[in-house]
Amino acid sequence: MLTIPGRKGCLCDGPTRRELLRAGSVGLFGLNLANFFQWQKAQGASRLDGAHGFGSAKSVILIFLQGGPSHLDIWDPKPEAPTSIRGEFKAIPTNVPGIQLSETMPMLAQQMDKCALIRSMSYTPTGLFNHTAAIYQMLTGYPPDKVSPSGQLEPPSPADFPTAGSHISKLKPPTEPVLPFVEMPRPLQESGVIGKGGAAGFLGKAYDPYRLYQDPNKPIKLDDLTLRKDVSPDRLKDRFTMLKGINGSMPDLEKALKDYAIDEYYGKAFDLVLSGKAREAFDLTKESDKVRERYGRTTFGQGLLLSRRLIEAGTRFVQMNWPAVANGNPEVDAWDTHAANFGPLKNLHCPILDRGVSALLEDMTQRGMFKDTLLVTVGEFGRSPRLGVSTSGNTNSPDGRDHWPYCYTALVAGIGMQAGRVYGSSDQTGSAPKEKPVHPNDLLATVYYSLGIDPDMTVLNHLNQPRELVKGKPVLELW
Amino acid sequence: MWRTSWTVALMFILSWTTRAAPSSAKQSPKITELLVEPAELILRAQDEGMRVLVTGTTPAGDRLDLTSSAQFVPAESIVKVESDQYLYPVRQGETQVTVTAGGKQAQFTVRVGDLSKPPQISFIRDVEPVLNKVGCTAGTCHGSAKGKNGFKLSLRGYDPEFDYEALLYDMSGRRFNRADPARSLMLAKPTQQVAHGGGLRVELGSRYYNTLLHWISAGVPFGNPTTDRVDKLEVLPKEVFMHGPDQSQQVIALAHYSDGTVRDVTREANISSNIPEIADVDAAARVKGERKGEAALLVRYEGKFVSVPITMLNPNAGFVWNRLPQYNYVDELIDAKLKRLKILPTPTVDDAEFLRRVSLDISGVQPTPEELRAFIADKTDSRTKRSRTIEQLLSQPEYVDHWTLKWGDLLQVSRRYLSDKGMWEFRDWIRDSIAQNKPYDKFVRELLTARGSSFENPAANFFRVTRNPKVSMEKTTQLFLGVRMVCTQCHDHPFEKWTQNQYYEMVAFFGSIGLKPGFQSGDEIVYDKRDDNEIKHPKTGRVVEPKFLVASLSAPPIPTKDRREALVDWLTSKENPFFARAIANRLWSYFLGRGIIEPVDDIRASNPAVNEALLEALTKDLTDHDFDLKHLMRVIVSSRAYQAGIHANEWNGDDKVNFSHAMPRRLSAEELMDAISLAAGHRPKFPEVPPETKAEEFPDPHVGKDGFLDVFGRPARESSCECERRSDISLPQALNLVNGRTIADAIADPKGRVAKLILAGASDRAIVEELYLASLSRAPTAKEYDAAMTFLRPGASRAAWAQDLLWSLVNSKAFLYNR
Repeated sequence: MLTIPGRKGCLCDGPTRRELLRAGSVGLFGLNLANFFQWQKAQGASRLDGAHGFGSAKSVILIFLQGGPSHLDIWDPKPEAPTSIRGEFKAIPTNVPGIQLSETMPMLAQQMDKCALIRSMSYTPTGLFNHTAAIYQMLTGYPPDKVSPSGQLEPPSPADFPTAGSHISKLKPPTEPVLPFVEMPRPLQESGVIGKGGAAGFLGKAYDPYRLYQDPNKPIKLDDLTLRKDVSPDRLKDRFTMLKGINGSMPDLEKALKDYAIDEYYGKAFDLVLSGKAREAFDLTKESDKVRERYGRTTFGQGLLLSRRLIEAGTRFVQMNWPAVANGNPEVDAWDTHAANFGPLKNLHCPILDRGVSALLEDMTQRGMFKDTLLVTVGEFGRSPRLGVSTSGNTNSPDGRDHWPYCYTALVAGIGMQAGRVYGSSDQTGSAPKEKPVHPNDLLATVYYSLGIDPDMTVLNHLNQPRELVKGKPVLELW
Repeated sequence: MWRTSWTVALMFILSWTTRAAPSSAKQSPKITELLVEPAELILRAQDEGMRVLVTGTTPAGDRLDLTSSAQFVPAESIVKVESDQYLYPVRQGETQVTVTAGGKQAQFTVRVGDLSKPPQISFIRDVEPVLNKVGCTAGTCHGSAKGKNGFKLSLRGYDPEFDYEALLYDMSGRRFNRADPARSLMLAKPTQQVAHGGGLRVELGSRYYNTLLHWISAGVPFGNPTTDRVDKLEVLPKEVFMHGPDQSQQVIALAHYSDGTVRDVTREANISSNIPEIADVDAAARVKGERKGEAALLVRYEGKFVSVPITMLNPNAGFVWNRLPQYNYVDELIDAKLKRLKILPTPTVDDAEFLRRVSLDISGVQPTPEELRAFIADKTDSRTKRSRTIEQLLSQPEYVDHWTLKWGDLLQVSRRYLSDKGMWEFRDWIRDSIAQNKPYDKFVRELLTARGSSFENPAANFFRVTRNPKVSMEKTTQLFLGVRMVCTQCHDHPFEKWTQNQYYEMVAFFGSIGLKPGFQSGDEIVYDKRDDNEIKHPKTGRVVEPKFLVASLSAPPIPTKDRREALVDWLTSKENPFFARAIANRLWSYFLGRGIIEPVDDIRASNPAVNEALLEALTKDLTDHDFDLKHLMRVIVSSRAYQAGIHANEWNGDDKVNFSHAMPRRLSAEELMDAISLAAGHRPKFPEVPPETKAEEFPDPHVGKDGFLDVFGRPARESSCECERRSDISLPQALNLVNGRTIADAIADPKGRVAKLILAGASDRAIVEELYLASLSRAPTAKEYDAAMTFLRPGASRAAWAQDLLWSLVNSKAFLYNR
C-alpha cells in the first residue's frame, strides 16, 4: 500500500502503470519509514514544488461541525430574504467592512479580519442524503456508494477510503516524537453508525487517528502514553539499552531488516513515552485560567485549546469534532436542527462555537501559528434555506431546517491565505452558489495541496487497485 | 560450524578473485555472426514503415544488440531508410538490404506491394491506436468513467464500436468537416487550433495527424471488425538478456492480423518496464540496463499483451558457482536459475533456527524450551531429525489451528456475515477438513456446490458471505484461480486478456444461487433459484450464457441446471491452468515470504513467475499427488532453499525474489501474541473464548477486536485478498510493544515464567538461558549472558531484572521476526 506522487493517474489506467509497479516493488517488503522516505527522495521534487501556496502548511486543525450547521444562521445571513428563509436572526457587521455575520456570532465578528469564508461550498449527493454519507464524502473525498451500498447502515470497514488525516499522517509523518493525527473529543456518528469516514480504511490501522474520546474540559487520562507505575524512566532506559545489545548481537538480522526502520519506530515510541512531550501537550493545566476562559470552559472550547497545544507540539493533523450528535433532542447542542432551529442555536450551540473559534483565531494569530498552520472549519452540509420543508425525507417542524448540501459555508485561516474576505458567494436565499462553487473535494484538495501533497497523486487501495487521492482541484485563489 | 567457516573461506577467495580479475566489460567484443530479425519485411503502403533488429554473436556465444549502430544499404531504391532506421517503400518490387554492424555484414529481403492500391484505412486498425497512443482514451482524459467535457471514449480504446459512435454521432456529427477535412474539430482539438482542455496531443503535419486527416478524407470508415483487429502481438526479441547495466536492447512490436499481414507498431504500442530501477525503456523502445536483477518488459497494443523477461547480470567478474547440497527438485530448479543469474545461495540454518522457523510456519507457534533442548540434544544426523520434526509438526493439533486460521481469513469466517452459530459451524467445518487433510479439489468442490441450511451443511456459508453472483464470481476466481476479474466488471482488463464479456459469462455460473432464511434464527438456506437466475450483460441487456474463462478440452457441455457442478468440474480439473498453480504458489508464499508469482492472487501474463520451471514442477507435484496440500508443504519445507539462512553473501545481497537466501518475516498478529504468551508463560483472557485459548485458535476477528491483534494487522476478513493481512511495522505497534498491556501484563504475571523461575530459586545463569530459549528459541552466547548480567545490580530485585531481560527479548527483532 504505497502512494504515487506525480503524474495524473486514473483508475485502471495505463500511464501510471510504471509508477504503480515501482511502488509495488517497494510495497512487497512492507511500507516502512526509511525506504518510504528514501523512495520519496528518489522521486525527486514534486511537479508542484514552488507553486503558489503549495507546501505552505505544516499542520492542520480541522474543526468538523458534524450534524450540519445552518449556514444562514451563522456564516451567511440573508437579511433581505423573506422570513420563511431569513429566519429569526439579524445580520451584524464585522470588523471587515462589507462582511456580515449572523447575530449569533458576535465574537467571531471581531476576528473576521483573521479568516476567510467560503460561502459557495456545494455538492450534490449521489445516493443517500444522510449524515454518514455526507461525512464520508467530506472527509475521504469519495461518496460511500462503492464501499457501503446502504450508506447509513454499514459500519466502518477496512475497505473504506481513508479519512484525510490518515492520508496526511502517512504522506507527511511528523518529525517530532508526537502523535501524528489526533481526533477528539468523540467519534463521528449518526445513530448506530460510529466512526464512518473517520478511519484509515485501506491504509491500515497504523494510520488511524489517535482517538482521544474524552472531555478535554475534564482531566485527561493517557494510559498508553504514561509509563506504568512499576516502570520508572530509568528502568525503561535500562530495558532499551538491553534491547539494543540483543539486537546488536545479531548483525545478519540487523542487516536484513535495515529497510524496515524498526529502530526509528522504537525510538519514537520511547521518546513519546519518556519525553512526555505529547503527554504534556494534553495537559491543559499548563494554560492560564484567562486563556482557558477565553476559549470557554466547554468540551468544544477546551478541545480547541488542546488542538492548538498539540499543533505546537508537532502533531500534523488535529480533528476536533463537534461534541454533540443528533438525537432529536432540541436541548442538546447538536447541529442537526430539524426542529427548534433558533432557540438552541442562539442559546446553546452558537455561543460555544462563537467563543471557541474566535478565541482560537485570536490566540493563534498572537502566537504567530498561522504562518504554517491551516485552520478549516466546516460541517458535512448546510441546512435548507426554507424553514419547515423536508429535503432529506426527515420530518421537519415549522421552525426546523433540513439537510442542504447544495450550498453552505466553510471558514479557513492561516498559511498566507487572504484573510478578511469572502470567497465565492451564494444566491439571494443561500440555496446555491452564485459564483465560484467549491466542491468538498476541492476543499480536501486544497488541504492536501497546502501540505505539499499533490492532490492528483494515486494511492493503492486494499486490493492494490489505483485510486485518485481526491478528485478535486485546489482553490488557488484562496492565497 | 564447519559449514560456516568454509563459507567464510570461500567468500574470501571469491572477493580476492574479483579484485584480481581484469575488467573486460568496456572492450567491444569481436562479432562472429550477425542476425537480422525479421528476416523479411513486406511493406504495402506509402506511410507504412518497418524496422529490423540487428544482433551480433560473440565468440563466447553472447548476443549483443547492434541495431542502433547498424548501417542499412538497399540494393535497389525500392525502399529508403529514414534516420530513425525505419524502412519506407518507394516503389513496388523486391530488394536485398545489406546491414553492416560490428564489422560484419548480413542481408535481408524487403518486398513492396502495389503502392497505388494501399489497404483501406480503418478506424479500428489505424485511428484507434492513435487515439490510444496520444492519450485521448486515457483514464484521466476521455477514457474516464464519465468522459471529459462531455466527450466520452472507452478506457484505453477497448471498445472501438463505442468510440466510433461517440465520434460520429455525439454533437450531431459536428466533429467532422467533410467538405474541408483539415478543418474538422477532431483535428482542431488535439492540435490545439481551438481550445482543448487536454492540451496539445498531435502536432500539425505529424504522422498521427496525417493518419487522422487521411481517415476523415476517406469518409471515416469503421473498417472490418474481424480482419482489422489485431490477431496476435509479437515482440522481438523474445527475451532481453544483458551482461551488465551499460548495455541496451532495441525491441520491436509487430501486430499480426488475421489476413496474414504484419505491421510494425513499436511506435504506437505502450511499452514499459515493471521495475524501471533494474531496466528502463525509452520512447524509442530501447531497453536500458540500470542495475543487476530481473524485470519484465510489458508491451500492450490494442488489447493484446506480451511480456518479455529482462535479465541483467551482475557485471562483476569473478563469479564462481558453488554447488550446495540438493535436498529435492526445488533446489535443482532454484539453483539452475541462480547459477544463470550469477547469484550464490546461502547455506542452511542451524538446528535451533530451523526448529523455530519450521514450527512457526507449519503450526504458528514457537518451540518450547523443552522441545528445543530435546531437538538439539538429539544426536541423529541433522537431515533425518529435521524430516522427523516436519512429520511431527504436520500431524499435531497446532497445525490444524494454524491452517484453520489461514482458511478462515480466505473464506472470511466472521460472525458479521454468518451469525454466531454459522461462524462456529463454518470454522469447525474448515477445522475438520484440515484435520483430515481433505484433498484441496474436494475441499473447493464442497464449498462451491454446497446447498441447504448453513447450519447443517456449513460449507454453504461460502455463499452467505458473497451473497450476489458478481461477488461470488470475483471471489471464486481470485481465491481459487488467483485471477482478479474485478476490473473487467466495467471494462476490458487494461493489462490482461480478460474482457467484460468473460466477466459476465463467468458470473452466469452463479446466477441461480439463492439465499433464504433458515428455520433457526441466524441460519440461511442456499438453494438453486428456478427463475430470476439469468445474468444480463449491462451493455446489451441480453442474457449471458455461461462460458469457462479458459476453454478446456475435457470439460463437458454446460447444462442449463446445476451449472455450479459444471463449473467445479472445470475449475478443479487437473488440466485447469490456474487452479493447482494458484494454490501451489500460495502455499509456497506462506513458507518463503513471497510467491513465485507475487501478489499470489494476481496471476496474469503481465505478472510473470520469477521461476516458471519451479512453479510448474510444484503444480505438477500437487496434481500428481491428487491435491494433497500436506505433501506439497512437506516438499517445500524439506528443501534446502527453505532452510537457507538470512545471511547474504557478496553475490546474493541484492536478490530479493529468487529465494537465494531467507527473508525475515514479521510474525503475524496471532503468532506474535502466542509467542509472547509462550515466552512469558501468561495468556491474556478474552470473554468470547475459554481461558488458555491461543490467538491462533480464535474463530473470527470479533475476538479481541480493536486490541493488540488488530494493531498488528489481523485482517478484518473483509475480502479474500491475501493483502488484507498486514505485516508492516508502525508507530502504534511500537508504542504497544514498548508500553502496552500485552507485554507488560505477560512479563509481570505472578504465575508467569519469570515469577516461577524466581520462586524456584533458579540461578542467574539458568534464568538467562531459560528466557533466551523461551523467546529467541536458542541459548544465549557467553557474551549475551555477560551482557544480561551487567544489568543485575547489587541489591536490586532479581525479579525486576529478569522481567527487564524478558521485555528486551520479546521486543527484539529476533523475536518479532521469523528468520
